[in-house]
Amino acid sequence: MTSTSTSLVTRDTATLPGVAVSPSSATRPAPTSPARRWPTLAWGSLAIWVVLGLLIVAPVVSFLLLATSPRLFQQGSSYFTLRYVREALSGTTGRGLFDSLWVSVVAAVSSTGIATLVAWLVQRTNVYGRRVWGLLMWLLLLVPTWMMTLGWGDLLQPYGAASTVGLPVSWLYGEFFGPLGIVIVLTTAALPFAYFIVSAALRGLGSEFEDAARIHGAGRLRTVRTVLPILAPALWSAVAIGFAETMSDFGVAFTLGYHANFPMATYTLFAAISNFPANFSVAAVIAVLLIVATIPPIVLQSRATRRRSYAVLSGRTRTPRRREFGPMARVGVTVGLGAVFLVALGAPVLGAVVGSFVRNLGIYAPAGVHFTTASYAAILHPTIADKSIGAPLVLSNQLGIVVATATGVLAYVLGRRLGAGRGGWGQRVTDVFLLGTVAIPGVVLGVGYIFFYNLSAISSHLINLYQTLPLLMLALTANALPGQTRFMAGPLAQVQPSLAEAARVHGAGRWRTWRSAQLPLVARVLVWGWLLTFTKTIAELAISQVLYPPSHEPVSVTIQAYLGNYQLGTGTAMTVLTLLEMLAVIGVVLGLFRLLAPRGWRRIGWSGVRT
Amino acid sequence: MHTTQQSVRITRGRRVLIGASAAAAALASLTLSIASAQASARAQGPTLVVYSAQGYDSAVVTAFNKTNPGFIVTLNDNSTGPLLQQIQAEGTHPKWGVLWVDGSQAFAALDRQGKLAKGIVPKVSFNAVGRANIAADGSFVPTGLTATGALVYDSSQISPARLPKTWADLLKPEYAHMLGMNDPTQSGPTYPLIAGVMNDLGHYTNGSPASAIRTGEAFFTRLKKNGLVINATNGPTLGAIQSHKIAMAIIQSSAGYGAEISTSPTIRVAYLNPVTALPGTIGIDGLMPKTVQDEARKFVDYVLSPAGQHVMQIGDPQGDSLFWPVLNGEKPANKVIPALSSVPMQTTNPYVWGPLENQINAWFTAHVTNG
Repeated sequence: MTSTSTSLVTRDTATLPGVAVSPSSATRPAPTSPARRWPTLAWGSLAIWVVLGLLIVAPVVSFLLLATSPRLFQQGSSYFTLRYVREALSGTTGRGLFDSLWVSVVAAVSSTGIATLVAWLVQRTNVYGRRVWGLLMWLLLLVPTWMMTLGWGDLLQPYGAASTVGLPVSWLYGEFFGPLGIVIVLTTAALPFAYFIVSAALRGLGSEFEDAARIHGAGRLRTVRTVLPILAPALWSAVAIGFAETMSDFGVAFTLGYHANFPMATYTLFAAISNFPANFSVAAVIAVLLIVATIPPIVLQSRATRRRSYAVLSGRTRTPRRREFGPMARVGVTVGLGAVFLVALGAPVLGAVVGSFVRNLGIYAPAGVHFTTASYAAILHPTIADKSIGAPLVLSNQLGIVVATATGVLAYVLGRRLGAGRGGWGQRVTDVFLLGTVAIPGVVLGVGYIFFYNLSAISSHLINLYQTLPLLMLALTANALPGQTRFMAGPLAQVQPSLAEAARVHGAGRWRTWRSAQLPLVARVLVWGWLLTFTKTIAELAISQVLYPPSHEPVSVTIQAYLGNYQLGTGTAMTVLTLLEMLAVIGVVLGLFRLLAPRGWRRIGWSGVRT
Repeated sequence: MHTTQQSVRITRGRRVLIGASAAAAALASLTLSIASAQASARAQGPTLVVYSAQGYDSAVVTAFNKTNPGFIVTLNDNSTGPLLQQIQAEGTHPKWGVLWVDGSQAFAALDRQGKLAKGIVPKVSFNAVGRANIAADGSFVPTGLTATGALVYDSSQISPARLPKTWADLLKPEYAHMLGMNDPTQSGPTYPLIAGVMNDLGHYTNGSPASAIRTGEAFFTRLKKNGLVINATNGPTLGAIQSHKIAMAIIQSSAGYGAEISTSPTIRVAYLNPVTALPGTIGIDGLMPKTVQDEARKFVDYVLSPAGQHVMQIGDPQGDSLFWPVLNGEKPANKVIPALSSVPMQTTNPYVWGPLENQINAWFTAHVTNG
């Protein structure tokens, strides 16, 4: 009984992707003697922090030091000055910070609210297409925000995709290219994170709490108000990760934000280093503030969950009962859910696909609109002036495979340690570090890599990596690692240490123990984590643009070059082909998993999505 | 029963083993192929890296590598902003061998920092405008010329007869909400335009440009009040004309000609008096080893040779290739471009206006872009 209860309580706190967890003390391995354990622990921690140091800490700190010490990297005359702090907090940069803060709060709260409703409908009702909604949420997670804004732009702009099919949406264009559109896109971008966190918590919450409230006379609203606080840990986690993701987003700030004269922090950071000479010090101050801004949500989350116990799972937890809608209500709710995904995913994807076939997209055409495949021809059979999609896409796939695999291995190790720690300061530091680094904009990491890895002491005497693909791979891995680790930490903490201990007791070696007792339980989260990093790596722009080696252009940079020259049709066609290729890879990987993995691997372990 | 379970376990084990082995082999071969490609590239010795934001750079580098055995030029093709970011972040440990972007301001700043090689001017016959844009110490040279502040307009919206004739005309109510331009923090050619307007309206000749700056700021403030529309770069500004949000814009001449010969036949280009010369400028990293600098000089020589000029003119036929040559005997790539002598063009001093870029851009962002 104790063991069952322990297992379920662990699951309650641990099945939240994106949330670092502290398993209950009962799940921790039995303590071994200090004399035997200390050296192993120290070396393991040391190795991990060395890796984190080289991947993230050293390059980012190199950049952040410029906030007050520009002379350290020959970027000014002062070893210590607060001039750039004042500069960053005034004028457009100050307004950018304010805008980012309120937009992030709104996006985090609204995405958590919508995600909670969607998760409840999918998990706890008989709405149609429950598996489809889960998969669509995955798709939403995989599509980067710059692709979304591109699709919205293609759809709504004058002489864009919507007007070509006769939809009068020009009035919406002005509204969308403003704070409203920014909040909508960023809310939809944060939606999947919140959804996976809340739905995991809902799966573990039996319906007895709802029943109890109703039995005691509570109406529907009162029942919701009674049950919702039980999900507080998940809701706070969703708000925290949504806030951090929104604060660090650059795609929307650079597109919608810029065009709407609505400065956001990541854009003002970019603008500070776009001039010549670049003002790296102001950019560093903004980066520090972005990281610091993630602390309040973590503190609020921590305070909210520390006051009381939320352990609701026990051996008596029953499988939740689904609410049965009547036929009309069921159809209505399903249509409503479809409308959410139409706004979040369907509109931008449709806009991009239709837009890629419009001749002279966005240009006044007195003779009417014509459809053409010329944009696809330009990237498949380029002239001397065009750029082919072939080599950049192959390179991006190679980067995606290497980065996703390396990140998967590192995130697995980190996630295990995060889940198996003692809940002390070490784990808290790692936890805050991982959420804080989520908020670091890619351009900070990219420029930090130049500062650090191009230091004469390193490139001349240690290793010369600058302007090579390995350095780009390292930076992309560093960029993906925090999010991937937080994604894996919850599911990995589900795995009972007793399974491995039992295997070892029965004579299995380390490798066999991992393969037979661990891998089956974590295979699915490893596959989805790999796919997440793979797709994010292919779509990544900020780091790639700064660090790609000469003559090795990733596809995101090529797309941006087309869009920057206002070759919208060609850029959009390349985006559509890249998206299709990403989906094909997802299909192949999931197909191979289904083909090669034993059936049991697909039925046990993490239940974020059914494959 | 036991045998069946065992066979199932073996089958599962094999599947896992096969899958894991295949994945490991694929990853290993991929990593090795990338690493070996990097190693072989490095084994060829010091290579020249060209940092360029020109639309025809890829074609020029490809042509150069085909015709010049002995060393390979690699290309870092990016927008001007990221390239200059990289150069600044690289500090005193640079990786660039040649910088090739529009405008001379960045080169003047690099020259002042002692980072450019001197005396790189090839022995070719420059025309008058070409000569006017060569650095006095020979640390950078023009490779082609466009004009910034060209009046690009849609002839279906505004007839040539109705066009403004002077910069002051742009302030008239009849042009309210009809004019657009780019954001200088996003568009490389736009700061030289703003500096050129200040230079002209403030009658700057030498000494402190403070008075010229004040005059220019007053002009742009009034232009903003008259409904000036700011977009990020040439592309979106042209898009605003093409979608009839505005009727004309002051942008780079090559962008206007590109639109005219490709997507929008009603687009035309006119010139207020004066427009500002925007040379495509090339310079060599003076901190590089002599071998790399020698390679860089060969590349610069090639760019300013008839063969190099030809590739520049065919490399981006609807974009950057639409420039005026700076060499005697060379003609523009397309007949849509008028004779250079018919364009009223001024040249600004990059050593004066270059250091003011951040200050003037900050003012413009606060009072015009976000004003």
